[in-house]
Amino acid sequence: MTKTCVDPKKARKILDRYPSGDGTSLIHALQDIQAEFGYVPCEAAELLCEHLSVPISKAFSAATFYKAFSLEPKGDVVIRVCTGTACHIRGAQTLVDELCSILNVAPGKTTKDLKFTLETVNCVGACAMAPVVSLNGEYHGNVQPGTMSKKIRGGK
Amino acid sequence: MSPKKTRTCVMEIDHREVSFPEGVTVLRAAELNDVYIPSLCSHKDLSPFGGCRMCIVEIESMRGYPLACSTVAAEGMKVLTDTATLREMRKEILQLILSEHPSSCLICSEETECRENQHTIRKVGVTTGCRYCPNDIQCELQEVVERTGITDIDYPIYYRGYEVEHDDPFYDRDYNICILCGRCVRMCQEVRGTSVLAFKFRGPEAQIGPAFGKSHVEAGCEFCGACVSVCPTGTLADKASKWDGEPDGIRVSTCPFCGIGCQVELHHKDGRLSKVEANLDPEINDGQLCVRGRFCMPEATHHHQRAKKPMLRRGEYFREVTWDESIDEVAGKLKGIKADEFLMVVSGDLTNEGLFAAQKFVRSALGINSIDSTARESLPGGLGLWAKLFSLSISMKGIREADCIIALGLDSRFYFSVAGVDIRRALKNGANLVTIDARDSNLASYTKHWLRPTPGKEGAVLDAIVQGIGKSNSGFKSVAKKTDVDEGLLAQAVSTLSSGENLAVVIGPTIFEYEANEELIDALTRLARRTNTTFMPLYNGANTRGAFELGVISELLPGVAKAKGKGVTLSDVIEGTATPKVLYLVGEVPFFDRPDCEYVIAQGTYYPPFEVDAFLPAASFAEAEGTLTNVEGRVQELVGIEDLPDSAVAGFARPDWLIFSRLAEKLKCSEFKYKSAKAVLKDISKTVADFPAKADRKPRRLTPKAKLPIDRHAGGSEGADPFLLVAEPAGFAHRGTDLASKVEGLEELALEEGFRLNPDDLGKLRVDSGERITVSVGKLTVTGQAKADKECPRGTVYFHRPVAYGGLEHRAELEPLYRLRKSPVKAEVARSVEKKRSTKAAPKKTAAASR
Repeated sequence: MTKTCVDPKKARKILDRYPSGDGTSLIHALQDIQAEFGYVPCEAAELLCEHLSVPISKAFSAATFYKAFSLEPKGDVVIRVCTGTACHIRGAQTLVDELCSILNVAPGKTTKDLKFTLETVNCVGACAMAPVVSLNGEYHGNVQPGTMSKKIRGGK
Repeated sequence: MSPKKTRTCVMEIDHREVSFPEGVTVLRAAELNDVYIPSLCSHKDLSPFGGCRMCIVEIESMRGYPLACSTVAAEGMKVLTDTATLREMRKEILQLILSEHPSSCLICSEETECRENQHTIRKVGVTTGCRYCPNDIQCELQEVVERTGITDIDYPIYYRGYEVEHDDPFYDRDYNICILCGRCVRMCQEVRGTSVLAFKFRGPEAQIGPAFGKSHVEAGCEFCGACVSVCPTGTLADKASKWDGEPDGIRVSTCPFCGIGCQVELHHKDGRLSKVEANLDPEINDGQLCVRGRFCMPEATHHHQRAKKPMLRRGEYFREVTWDESIDEVAGKLKGIKADEFLMVVSGDLTNEGLFAAQKFVRSALGINSIDSTARESLPGGLGLWAKLFSLSISMKGIREADCIIALGLDSRFYFSVAGVDIRRALKNGANLVTIDARDSNLASYTKHWLRPTPGKEGAVLDAIVQGIGKSNSGFKSVAKKTDVDEGLLAQAVSTLSSGENLAVVIGPTIFEYEANEELIDALTRLARRTNTTFMPLYNGANTRGAFELGVISELLPGVAKAKGKGVTLSDVIEGTATPKVLYLVGEVPFFDRPDCEYVIAQGTYYPPFEVDAFLPAASFAEAEGTLTNVEGRVQELVGIEDLPDSAVAGFARPDWLIFSRLAEKLKCSEFKYKSAKAVLKDISKTVADFPAKADRKPRRLTPKAKLPIDRHAGGSEGADPFLLVAEPAGFAHRGTDLASKVEGLEELALEEGFRLNPDDLGKLRVDSGERITVSVGKLTVTGQAKADKECPRGTVYFHRPVAYGGLEHRAELEPLYRLRKSPVKAEVARSVEKKRSTKAAPKKTAAASR
């Protein structure tokens, strides 16, 4: 992976928003780090824990518990295929298979060039337009198999 | 803070009226009244967790099935613990837990038949039974399953398929059989304050371990083994005793490695020490230990280099001989010896009995006063300082009950852990901690005020604080300037300490090691006059206080009275001002090379690293019974757990007091008629006024009979050299031998190796961690390995100074620094220009090898 270098200045800027030594703001700060870097880098987590006087194991525990946090860098485009009941019945698995073969990654993983991350989610709450695929938060409903390649190129 | 008086309340459990102290949980109340409620995640030292849900109960007027472990018991509560519904639900809950736990050790239809067949002796294949789990038969989960009455599991079993983790020293981890009760995690976070372990991931992937996939060593594990002890399954297991199975017995003894004197439970199997667990002794350690006590004992006594046979030099050979032959020869050499021809050096790790017999042997049987001990070096600052300190109120419990604590120069991760745990316990009860330490430490991470002076100035800061306590506005300007501590911070610390009543002062050994100790002594004198103050002066050596009290130092007689007549001292021999004809080393190796003596006798558990003329094998802490005096003055029992008859394998070791008795008998001295260690202790109590006649765990305050000198030194370190070289006393030694050379795990941790520098300083010197540096103090120049340690302040070099050199042959090149009594001292540091050489230990030159 190439994008693992963390700019300490950026991390500092996030930390300055939280009072030092206050462990209760751990999750907020982790969310900010996730938003800034697209994932929670080990170095940033270490800086954060030092700032908040929280053991690093606690931050790791929180970061691995919540799905909102990722410990690995995410791609520029995050593709989320809904595999909830409605989407599943309307062929979500075909879409997942198709994406896996186009991108050559397994669900939950990121392509080597760090352009795409493929994820499956359980329900996005838009069952009426099943099957649903979201590209960086933009929802596409009634997705037909065979159109994925075009969709993700467009979403770039 | 004195323990609050708790009210006694009454409640009803299973239609029976029971009483309990206010504030406890329903589970604890039931436990106190011998009512069994199954539970897998609760523990007396840990916060309620409610993880296993086995402890559900029915409480009148409470909805549903509350958990006994997280419900606070209240006056008049009516609790049912064993109804049909609860039994049914518990079975269901336990089955769910077991659906992720391999269960052949719990439920097996062949169990009875299998057990019967296991005892058949014949030369054909027979059932040997399953041995999947090191915890078999000692398992809490097994017990709960049996009592819950589960005979089958209705759910499909899910095996996690993790690899067993063997990488770190001391204990293995098999997370396939973990039930995620979280005891280890809470122990690590709440009691030890280390927070290495945490839950990671969730759902079926949930697991326990350090953050970011680091190893335990990298994550800063202190290997106290508290997690291993609380694990209800076989997930965490000691490497050394993993497959030993159920012990034959357990006996309570005292840890022989440091002056705190923790109570331990020795597990023995087939007559050998197999494992050590902490004892729930409320006086000292209350279920906690450090890496030495928890893991190092079996290896320290069972190491393959252990010397177990009497040996004599015969021409160019070093031969195994009988005890009679060796006693004859040694007694012959000692007969009629004069004071300036002889020196006996005794280790401060011996039992009281060994120490007393040693000094009595020299003074009565030989009639001279040439006895010395490295205990003197473990108690720097002059014997008078320690006579004073030992006469103060020293108490481990006092730390726990204090509301203000000052900790000086103590890092309790690997050294004196139990003191650190007690400080945490006090903090939990609302105490305030002020840390004075030039070095970063684990205590500094949870202290209220961390005062960080330049190394060597800790005493001055303490003195300023002590003078400031209780006064409204004291000026700290001059002290702040002198010690490099922020003036405001000093004032804050003083105001924090002024609010408290019971003060505890914990002082690590590094502080006493400083040469300039004037202010420290002043501060201690002031503190000694203060009421409600407890002290905890920490030193190395298990029985150093015993050596001090029993007069194993030439100028002291038993009972801290002044001795008459001058004898040779150890420093005379080291400095070369005296060369005794015969040197007798009892469990002590204060040289790297054989001193220039005609005849050298060594009595110990391992051979010294140089050639000797006679070797007398002494019994180790596991083999000899006796007593040890801890820092508080308690005379605590050391149990001889291995009592095997003499044989080539078990060896021919004898307790130290017995060896001296036999030598004395040979020299026609009638005062040694000891039949057992108990008889020696009785003799001690006759000679030393306040010494008990049998092991007595009552703390004693010393009443010295003589006025002893205090070595006061003022001033600081002169010179213009950029670095400050600070010596920390090395603690991982026992009976003159470095423990890291005998215990594999300690060797891996390498806690006392090399020079420690701040990574920034190393960067400036263009030296990588692990490379060699040259340290020059005046005309003295030594070379050694450098290690990056961000806990060291910038501009300092830390190193560990041992007092005994057994097992440290690879560090012999640092000897000039070890002999340097000054600390801290200005030094020049540079990148070593010598050619790259292997940093590995040089081949060990032992007496055994030279034979």
